[in-house]
Amino acid sequence: MKRGDSLYRRLLGWLLLPLLVLGSLILIQAWVDAQRTADRAFDRLLEAASLAIAEQVQWQDDRLWLDLPPAALEMLATDAQERVFYSLVDRQGRLITGNALLPGDPRQGAEGEDTLLYRHIDWQGLSLRQGVRRTRVEDWRVREPFEVRVAHSREGRDALAARLWRANLAMILAMAALATVGLLLAIRAALTPLTRLRRAIRARDPRTLAPLELSLPRELAELRDTVNELLARMRRVRANQERFIGDASHQLRTPLAGLSARAELALRQDDPMRWKEALIAMQATSARTARLAVQLLSLTRLANPEYRPDRVPVELNALACQAVRDHWASCHRQGVDLGVENAGDEVWIHGIDWLLAEAIGNLIDNASRYGGRCVTVKVEHCPPRLIVEDDGPGIPEPRRMLMLRPFHRDRDDLAGSGLGLAIVDGIARTHGARLQLSTGHDGRGLRVVLQFPGDTS
Amino acid sequence: MTLLLVEDDALLAETLVDSLGLEGHDVCHLADGEAARARLAVAGHGAELVLLDLNLPGCNGLAVLEALRRHDRDTPVLILTARGAVEDRVRGLDLGADDYLAKPFALDELEARVRALLRRRSPDPQIRIGALVLDTQHQRFTLENASLALPPREQRLLACLMRHAGEPVDKARLTEEAFQGDAMGDNAIEVYVHRLRKRLGHSGVALRTVRGLGYLLEEE
Repeated sequence: MKRGDSLYRRLLGWLLLPLLVLGSLILIQAWVDAQRTADRAFDRLLEAASLAIAEQVQWQDDRLWLDLPPAALEMLATDAQERVFYSLVDRQGRLITGNALLPGDPRQGAEGEDTLLYRHIDWQGLSLRQGVRRTRVEDWRVREPFEVRVAHSREGRDALAARLWRANLAMILAMAALATVGLLLAIRAALTPLTRLRRAIRARDPRTLAPLELSLPRELAELRDTVNELLARMRRVRANQERFIGDASHQLRTPLAGLSARAELALRQDDPMRWKEALIAMQATSARTARLAVQLLSLTRLANPEYRPDRVPVELNALACQAVRDHWASCHRQGVDLGVENAGDEVWIHGIDWLLAEAIGNLIDNASRYGGRCVTVKVEHCPPRLIVEDDGPGIPEPRRMLMLRPFHRDRDDLAGSGLGLAIVDGIARTHGARLQLSTGHDGRGLRVVLQFPGDTS
Repeated sequence: MTLLLVEDDALLAETLVDSLGLEGHDVCHLADGEAARARLAVAGHGAELVLLDLNLPGCNGLAVLEALRRHDRDTPVLILTARGAVEDRVRGLDLGADDYLAKPFALDELEARVRALLRRRSPDPQIRIGALVLDTQHQRFTLENASLALPPREQRLLACLMRHAGEPVDKARLTEEAFQGDAMGDNAIEVYVHRLRKRLGHSGVALRTVRGLGYLLEEE
């Protein structure tokens, strides 16, 4: 959205624009009407003048003869001092009398009919309104057609038209002003609920996730409901987080309490053998706590909905080999035989390499921690799969899904944190992969499969 | 041999100074990033290897690394960090770190990595793994202070494993090394590994199989 954009201005723009167009049309219409009215009024004068002249035309000495009535021309020259022209023309188009040879009626009228034509002409650089009357002298001897042509300049008409238009203009402008004021008030009134909503949101405590309680018109009520849905989702996320933090702090504090208690106890004693025992116990606990902290952090990062790392093409064989290389030494120290079985071909997926490495790491760690003596990382092609298999005691079928929950541990599991599989599950979700737990290939141990969506490109 | 340890946590630093000292290294400890940068930014800093924490007071560890790498590309740097994120690892390795160890780590692990890094750059013509010594100039092996005479293929195989001691070397690589392009089956190498194992006996040097990855030579 560009700067300065506002709903108010938008509405105003979209409503004022048609108003402006409409106003202009009305003004043009008013102008045309004024012209037409002025023409109608003044054409009566042309009609009367031409009639007055026509009535004075007589047939004398075998020719047309006009005794021009002065009133006929005076009525055409109004207050506006128009210039007046007239001419009397016989059937051959010859000028009988007149003060100017005006053009005639170009139409071929039926012989013996009276016609009257009004029109605008430009004559010798003057803009004139002309009336052409075609009639004839009629007495018992002769029927002689002739044309009376009268014209006057337009000053009077223009003045009248302008006067009429000005009167209309004032009214139209007053209406436009009224309409604009009404429009502004209406828009303001329509946007008031929005202002109320804004104030309600602004007045909230930023930490509260309570729903917005506010009665609003339908369109805004939808917005309010959407915001409330979002808030409800955030409440659920927060509740989850709080439960997680509660569990996590319990899990972290307990071993820390154990460590400091053990140290305190050892310091009260003088026997170096006791010190050594204490140190051994503390080393084990601190290593476990350290691992727990690392896992908690990964899980927190995975649980963050904002966390969307970029996916890159990852080759699973190389990834599995690297993971085995990284963990081989520590497994070997624990007497665990760690190995890898690659797929024949390269297996490419789109993923986050270090997250996948972390998943394999957690699975290897779990396998060796829970009694696996031989742990194998396998890669399979079509569909792309990453498998970690061990020969330990495995997990009984009904408990497998429970193991994916953070902090869930089996009753006999004392050393673990219950986070390893939850992390792997989180990583699988991040990749859109399916996590399956099953029994190892010879009926013992645990087989964990991460099956990726089938893009092997 | 002087190792420079840049670490702000007192307990960890003290422990590392002691443990690396017991390994026979001379360890110099700095707790402050700015001081470390000042020390490493100039030639003649005298460190054979730098152990570098990333979260340091004064100046970020990556900045220290950058200052060092601007004039010195050879001194190995091992990054120690509590930031588990692998983005950090990638940035560190991009800036020229040689290895990376995430806290918490086992002391064993750290000592092994330090040994490996020092061995990699060592001008020492001898590679020593426990009782097994390779004089790289003369390609002569000594096991438990007795000369170990080997046929050429076994010699090349063992030398290759010793150069990569502590990390698995894959079969294809070993085959290539030992047979030098002679066409041999995949399994031929196993015969030679078997023979080498017999020769090493119970000397404390073990030739281990890493399933799927190859073989690895290490001190037991």
